[in-house]
Amino acid sequence: MRFAARFFSRPTSLFGFVVFAVIVVIALAAPLLFAHGPMAIVGMPLLPPGSPGLAAGSDVIGRDMAAGLAYGARISLLIGIASTCCSVGIGVLLGAVAGYYGGLVDDLLMQITEFFQIIPSFMLAMVLVAFLQPSLSSTVIGITLITWPQVARVVRGQFLSLRSREFVEAARVLGMSDARIIFTQVLPNALPPIVVVSSMMVGYAILTESALSFLGLGDPDLLSWGTMIGSSRVAMWVAWWTTVLPGVCIMVTVLALNFIGDGLNDALNPRRGR
Amino acid sequence: MRLRYIGLRLIKTVLVTVVVVLLSFFMIHAVPGDAATVMAGQAGYADETYMKNLRAEYGLDQPLPVQLWAYVDRVAHGDLGTSFVRREKVLSIIMERLPNTMLLDAFALLVAAGGGITLGAMAARRPGSAGDSAVTTLAMLFYAVPQFWLGMMMVLVFGVWLNWLPPFGIETMGADYTGLARIADVGQHIILPGVTLAFYFMASYARLTRTAMIDVADQDFVKTARAKGISERQVQRRHILRNALIPLVTYAGLQASILVGGSVLVENVFSWPGVGTLAFQAVLARDNPLLLGIFIVTSVLVCLFNLITDIAYSLVDPRVELG
Amino acid sequence: MALLAIQDLTIALPPGADRPLAAEEVSLEVSPKEIVCIVGESGSGKSLTAHAVMGLLPGRVAATAGSILFDGTDLLREPPDVLRRRRGRDIAMIFQDPMAALNPVLTIGSQVTEQIRAHEDISEAAALKRAADLLAEMGLKDVATLLKAYPHQLSGGQRQRVMIAIALSLGPRLLIADEPTTALDVTTQAQILKLIRRLQAEREMSVLFITHDFGVVADMADKVVVMRHGRVVESGTTSRVLGEPAHSYTRALIAAVPKGDRYLPVPADSAPLVAVKNLTKRFRRGGVFSRAPQVTAVDGVSLTLRRGETLGVVGESGSGKSTLARCVIRLLDPDGGEVRLEEADIAHMKEKSLRPLRRRIQMVFQDPFSSLNPRETVADILIAGPKSFGEDVQEAKARASEMLRLVGLNPQTMHRFPHEFSGGQRQRIGLARALMLKPDVLIADEPVSALDVTVQAQVLKLLDEVRQQMNLAMLFITHDMRVAAEVCHRVMVMRQGKVVEEGLTRDIFTAPASDYTRALLAAIPGHGAL
Repeated sequence: MRFAARFFSRPTSLFGFVVFAVIVVIALAAPLLFAHGPMAIVGMPLLPPGSPGLAAGSDVIGRDMAAGLAYGARISLLIGIASTCCSVGIGVLLGAVAGYYGGLVDDLLMQITEFFQIIPSFMLAMVLVAFLQPSLSSTVIGITLITWPQVARVVRGQFLSLRSREFVEAARVLGMSDARIIFTQVLPNALPPIVVVSSMMVGYAILTESALSFLGLGDPDLLSWGTMIGSSRVAMWVAWWTTVLPGVCIMVTVLALNFIGDGLNDALNPRRGR
Repeated sequence: MRLRYIGLRLIKTVLVTVVVVLLSFFMIHAVPGDAATVMAGQAGYADETYMKNLRAEYGLDQPLPVQLWAYVDRVAHGDLGTSFVRREKVLSIIMERLPNTMLLDAFALLVAAGGGITLGAMAARRPGSAGDSAVTTLAMLFYAVPQFWLGMMMVLVFGVWLNWLPPFGIETMGADYTGLARIADVGQHIILPGVTLAFYFMASYARLTRTAMIDVADQDFVKTARAKGISERQVQRRHILRNALIPLVTYAGLQASILVGGSVLVENVFSWPGVGTLAFQAVLARDNPLLLGIFIVTSVLVCLFNLITDIAYSLVDPRVELG
Repeated sequence: MALLAIQDLTIALPPGADRPLAAEEVSLEVSPKEIVCIVGESGSGKSLTAHAVMGLLPGRVAATAGSILFDGTDLLREPPDVLRRRRGRDIAMIFQDPMAALNPVLTIGSQVTEQIRAHEDISEAAALKRAADLLAEMGLKDVATLLKAYPHQLSGGQRQRVMIAIALSLGPRLLIADEPTTALDVTTQAQILKLIRRLQAEREMSVLFITHDFGVVADMADKVVVMRHGRVVESGTTSRVLGEPAHSYTRALIAAVPKGDRYLPVPADSAPLVAVKNLTKRFRRGGVFSRAPQVTAVDGVSLTLRRGETLGVVGESGSGKSTLARCVIRLLDPDGGEVRLEEADIAHMKEKSLRPLRRRIQMVFQDPFSSLNPRETVADILIAGPKSFGEDVQEAKARASEMLRLVGLNPQTMHRFPHEFSGGQRQRIGLARALMLKPDVLIADEPVSALDVTVQAQVLKLLDEVRQQMNLAMLFITHDMRVAAEVCHRVMVMRQGKVVEEGLTRDIFTAPASDYTRALLAAIPGHGAL
């Protein structure tokens, strides 16, 4: 497929894809690799990486860092993907209707997205998660709520411009119903930016989730990368690995996702000669 | 004409604030538990009577619409209520901290814009070159770094290991500097948190500038400029950069709310006494008046900032008419 | 001695372009006080050759062989800042799209003085005075206001005059004009061409004029150079080349220019198939709450269409002709009037009742690049219409093959994507798509405006044949009077939303009743010589 060839020809996309695949594999394999789970106390606290049986060392209360990192991947990916799916679902639906039909529906959507632009979104997420009691689902809800307006804006813009393209006019002249036009004519052409935004969203969701967990607003029963960093604050000076390693994990994951997004952007919008 | 536009925008600001108040109010009160529960929990009591008394004291036992009306009425008179926790006027609490946050945000904005635009312009000069790829990859890296973690790394490296800059607070405790010495002191303290906050936005500015300049360089009027025989530097400055800056003004407007939201984390890590830390504490304590007050103040500020950037945009791009 | 002598110039394109060389061993000469036209279609290399003279070749395009001698000095071998100082002073250039060619954020005045002050050491005030005089010389009125205005506040014609003023501000000996009138209305085009001719005579300068229109060549040029696929195919004095074209391509180019003298006979009287009465459409810029004034794009227009007949609607930009077409086919909802398809008034019908009637009116669009869904195969594009009316897919596919053959394309190529076809081929596909539903009425909205002249002639012929074969009623929208005369039985002239004149093609062309029509006819380039 030409698309795959274009995508993998860029070194950064290839890198991103491989790294992301590795992270997914680790996340899935975590229960196999670390049967004792991330919460189990396996030894003395603050042992450096390389200590016997502890490839990544131990944290402030003696948990296995490596297990924490592996299980943390599960949480980050789960929340990232779940909230992106919800957010993109809502955003595409509302954005498509607003962009295609225009008028009052569009004006309404624009007012709503503007509102979300004015409220500091992280604070909003913070308030929501705190008040709904921190948990996996409240985090997903909170992140979805602050990210869907961005998707909706992108989709609306696409539909707005595509609606007046001549091949869409031709479809109307041919007697196609609105629904048919939206799904067969407009949406396939609007997909590239939607796909790109979605991949960036996953990265953004992971960053937001880790920030919330860092502040102590993550699911108390789970250990995410952000929580690990938060709990490492007291020991940061003497045990750098408790802070650095989870942070590097976050960074690498989001970087890989951003590279993938960039690669998708290039592969889906090749400069075609006339 | 411009005055009319400003007037309309101010009215819009008021409307938006009202909506913010309503929505925030309902959201805060729609979830189970309230300040009384939290305070009782902190004090160690779970006594029903105790909590009932607390609620009566704060007016939390009134039906919602009554509470809402009372609140709106107070806000209209400039009274944002009293904080449950600190027993002080919300407005004064916020005003005490607000300048610190604004200072931090302004510093971060300047660093981000200055650094980002310079990097982006450099990259756009020779697209596809090694320098360009370096800048683009660096920008991608900046996007991926968690802000709070970066802050902690900065504290660790520059504050502790290297001991170049003070890692916490806005000024040296107990030093009581005045005048220039104080400015220098604050200046030293603002560098680490400011740069941390600026990182993400620097990447955005760099990418935007780069894309804008490459797009503009392709336009016909740049060809015309060259056909006039003017110097290349003039072409870059008067024609390319001048037009590329237009989308950046819009972007600055969008940043306002993200900056305020982002400062929660940075203020937390660096113990910067700003509105962000205030918000966090208010969330944990279910201090509704304080939380609502912060939302209102930040919304008003963001609206005003957007108004300023919109006016700036109309000044920069003569094709745009206000209203 | 020649002022400009291009000798064996070869320009290479970067790897990945659709052809390796933009120009191959191109040679031509421009003598002092002479107007030379380079004429060719897209891909002929005419524009890049002109850019090479100014040293303005884009990024990775470079001249790899040959020389460009200006006054004896080879411009290709001059150091960059010597070349830069020549620009504007010795040689100046104007471009095709005056809106895009002016910096949108600088005033007109500062853009004119910029060039003057780049080469001469005078104050801004003095430069502004010179700018004012220049603009007046170009025939612009209200110069003081103009100097402080921004490009978007001027009309297309005004902008091009400003461009010419900038180019001539330092009195260059050679003016290079790259299709300067292609983006302008036909009456404006005539004015600008007249202006260039006057300035050339007054300033005794040479002009190298790039165009695709042989009509313009006939009006302007002393000498003409014909280019095709990067090579010079023929050159000589205009009268010789027009009178006795030696090369077959030159002959084809000249023949392809619609002459406006066919004057088709009118078919036998039949009942009108389409009757439009008093159609009105208004627009308001901005959203529902906008305070912008309302524009009446179509103002009480009436027309009739009969089977087997083509009615041409001719007008410049802003005449409302496209809006009219879109109202008739209900892509836009008219504000007033009726559109009768036989008995039914479709102007205000609800979409549900309208849908079955849509089969009977179809449309061919203007832009070959955006009128076909880039993500669908030609087959899918063609059967989309029948499919949405519930027809059998296999039958539709069979008919699609038939239609492709009808429009002169190979049915085997059905599974390919639009970008694999040329502009002319895509218009044929668009026509096939319109015919798939076996309509009675075909609306063609500027179907050939985006095509090269030789391709244009073929597509026009095809449209005419199809109309005859399928006994269609055709509404043909165009801005080009010559094109209208080729295929239309009757012509309607529109201006600012109103009908100015209507009648048989022959009558309109030989005995126009209104001044505006006369002006349109007079503006046709080369209408005397060709």
